[in-house]
Amino acid sequence: MHNVVIVGGGPAGLSAALAAAAAGAPVLLIDSNSRLGGQYWRNSVDELENQNEQHFDLATGLLLINAVKARKEIEVWSEAQIWSATNDEGKNTLRVIHQGKEKIVNTANLILCTGAYDRTLPFPGWDIPGVMTPGGVQSLLKGHGVLAGKQVVVAGTGPFLLPVAAGVIKAGGEVVSLIEANKSRRWVSSFIVILENLSKIKEAFYYIKTISRGKVRAQFGYAVIAAHAADNGELESVDIAKINRNFKVKKVKNIKCDVAAIGWGFTADTSLAGSLGCKQVVAKDESVVVWVDSEQQTNIPGVFAAGEITGIGGSDLSMAEGVIAGIAAAKFVGCKVDISKAHRKRRAKRQRFANALIKAYPIKTGWQLWPNDQTTICRCEEVSLGDLKFSVEELGATDSRTAKLFTRCGMGLCQGRICGRSVVDLVAKELNVLPTDIDRISAVNRPIITPIPLGVLAQGE
Amino acid sequence: MSQSEIQFTFDDKTISALSGQSVGAALLAANQRSLRKTRFNKDKRGIFCGIGVCFDCLVVVDGITNQRACIIEAKPGMKVQTQDGSNA
Amino acid sequence: MKNPDAIVIGAGVVGACTALSLANAGIRVLVIDRGPVASGTTGAGEGNILVSDKEPSPELTLAIRSRDAWFEIDTDIGGGFELEAKGGVVVSRITKGISDLKKLASLQKENGVETIELDASTLQEAEPFISKDVNYGVLYPGDAQCQPMLAAAQIIRAVKKRGGQFIQGENVIKINSNSGSVVGLTTDKNTYSTPIVINATGTWAGEVAKLAGSYLPIMPRRGYILVTSPAPKFINHKVYDADYVANVASGEADLQSSAVIEGTASGTILIGASRERVGFKNDLNIAILRQLARQAISLFPVLTNIQLLRAYRGFRPYAPDHLPVIGEDANVLGLWHAAGHEGAGIGLAPATGELITAQITGNVPFMDPMPFSPKRFKGGEHVAV
Repeated sequence: MHNVVIVGGGPAGLSAALAAAAAGAPVLLIDSNSRLGGQYWRNSVDELENQNEQHFDLATGLLLINAVKARKEIEVWSEAQIWSATNDEGKNTLRVIHQGKEKIVNTANLILCTGAYDRTLPFPGWDIPGVMTPGGVQSLLKGHGVLAGKQVVVAGTGPFLLPVAAGVIKAGGEVVSLIEANKSRRWVSSFIVILENLSKIKEAFYYIKTISRGKVRAQFGYAVIAAHAADNGELESVDIAKINRNFKVKKVKNIKCDVAAIGWGFTADTSLAGSLGCKQVVAKDESVVVWVDSEQQTNIPGVFAAGEITGIGGSDLSMAEGVIAGIAAAKFVGCKVDISKAHRKRRAKRQRFANALIKAYPIKTGWQLWPNDQTTICRCEEVSLGDLKFSVEELGATDSRTAKLFTRCGMGLCQGRICGRSVVDLVAKELNVLPTDIDRISAVNRPIITPIPLGVLAQGE
Repeated sequence: MSQSEIQFTFDDKTISALSGQSVGAALLAANQRSLRKTRFNKDKRGIFCGIGVCFDCLVVVDGITNQRACIIEAKPGMKVQTQDGSNA
Repeated sequence: MKNPDAIVIGAGVVGACTALSLANAGIRVLVIDRGPVASGTTGAGEGNILVSDKEPSPELTLAIRSRDAWFEIDTDIGGGFELEAKGGVVVSRITKGISDLKKLASLQKENGVETIELDASTLQEAEPFISKDVNYGVLYPGDAQCQPMLAAAQIIRAVKKRGGQFIQGENVIKINSNSGSVVGLTTDKNTYSTPIVINATGTWAGEVAKLAGSYLPIMPRRGYILVTSPAPKFINHKVYDADYVANVASGEADLQSSAVIEGTASGTILIGASRERVGFKNDLNIAILRQLARQAISLFPVLTNIQLLRAYRGFRPYAPDHLPVIGEDANVLGLWHAAGHEGAGIGLAPATGELITAQITGNVPFMDPMPFSPKRFKGGEHVAV
């Protein structure tokens, strides 16, 4: 019997597992990937050591992964998908598809570290093959040793664009343009935060050095606002616009490329927490996150959360939170441990850095003018902006949930993970109102957490 | 690289992959960027999120539809097909 | 519109159809809902328009008229709600079921329902992917389907174009009357004057009757529908097990389900239908999902590899005798009820609207409305009328 069940094998989950195990609690670590490390330390099919060059901070990842594998108190289920989770009077039930079968995990003590994925914004042509997320390009490179294209545009906002551009150059690709929507001077106000997080600055310089070696100069205040396909239906070029501080388009030029990696920060995947009934709140960056107290405990006693699902903050903050969650969970099951001041201080320092990041890389509402009526908003169900407008103007939808039910926008296989957040914004814009927290939270609520084959469902007990 | 090479088919072509590589990665390495056609507009789609979230890189694997090329591991002799709408 | 000729409470499909019927009769109608269009039971329905699941009865007469009325509305307002005359196939695999089905079909035929018996080979032709152990079925070409939320929204849209009004986000807190007659109603935001109020609030109709000081015994019955990922066109008709017909008429509390399976215009497959009496309890019952999946696969083995994407729950309103409640209130003049259609609300909505409108305008209704009269209940007792 496992005392602590942890979901997610990224920086937060690995840290939590080690902290709980060190405190004497047996751990079951459930991870959806085939290899531990999460999106951040995505392992290659090749030997890990060969990938060292690709990653500034792989040493830490290797250390954690190997430590988790070495501890006999930690059992790991890889390639395990949780399709449903419920909380019934203190008992949490996870229904997991693992090795082609459904397994039921009952536990009173759970740490959720389900992470995040790239946030994307819709624009004309964003569904053409060749337009990808930075995380997708990164995953192909780090996880599978494949360079997504020869001429790559890297665009969007946030520090994650740097390692992706650096990775493309190292693998022999050309970064034809590296563009950041926000102006770099937003950082000036965060001087003290930079001083107390110097390692992050070192990391940025590490990538910038690589990028400049590839003769690429980052441009600030620009965005990709349209993509165009060649006759074969695949990406041929993108329109790059100079934008103002609210993301409104000023001047446009067209450049050729075969891949455009475009990302707008990250969206936390809180579906599992939501299914259990954990309280969700809307963070400063308008993403929906799981509420936790100072010991990483959610509003449900015994259910903890750490990492990106409690607020986007990067791997360092995730690890700091993971350690605290691991200790708190072990304490919850009776282990004699306590969260030290040093742990709390480390988390606070990294939280300040994460806050500065969110301030430095905002997503402004001007993007809502990039799509036109023909632009696909829901990629799965092929719902256009025009369809959404019709549902509001003619059918009388007065919230995003109703617009979604009228149009099927966000009701496809990805279950609204890609478009859900944008739909809330776009419908509110049509209605000339601001999205409410209820709109945002209901957009991430999905009782079937991941699609499950009927045959597997039928066999379960 | 130290890994073994395996082979699978995509429509009528033979594709090589490293063991452990995803179907989608191997196809992209072979310059196959379009993986499916959408149900209504018959638009081409390829790998988008690359981590199994977006369900855009759908292919038919050994007759089973809606398989995500980006996360399904390439296995020797696998029969992979372009997904046309919801069909093989 | 502060002084409409009539106010319909509830913008589900029954309220929408009633409003359209009234508007078409020249009545200035106001529709009020506490939420958006179709935010109650309508939004959690499959969109069944069935003539196959009813025994010869007043309800069957209502269903037959309603089915035709749906196609008239489609033409009248210009469609836009995925109405499809797909036909239903009812099957059975047990001897008793087959003989019951045969009996039912022949009775229905005598009452004007088109029925076509299918043997093993014609069944395989109609449904090529159906399990090989199914050897008998009845095809009902009259069965149809629509997307219920879109239907309600498109009909409300037409009502607005015809001089009606829709106000959402107002919660009715009192139905005002004077010497036993309706004079208007009060919401949490406004007061309206009108001599006629139509209670089309489905599962919540009992609560609304109370607001007028009257009484209506409507209770919720929970039903699940599974929605799969988009799939090739495996299923041509609405296909259901004959057991379903027995369940609809059942009053037992425990969970009952039998597969009702069909494709939709968007490619998803819908799998119903469970029925349980658990009040308004809204938790996710995994056992039901599994049972529905098992029944669906047993009828269509090809569904084994198709993925479940969503499961939604709805609360179907039902009266003690499982008949809809359509007509004027027993105690308050000018208060009309159009509720309690259980799982058949989408199908029966247009004819319900016609019955109400005919009685309000003093025209001869297409059938005797007495079997559906609210006057059959008195102070909790079910009395014969």
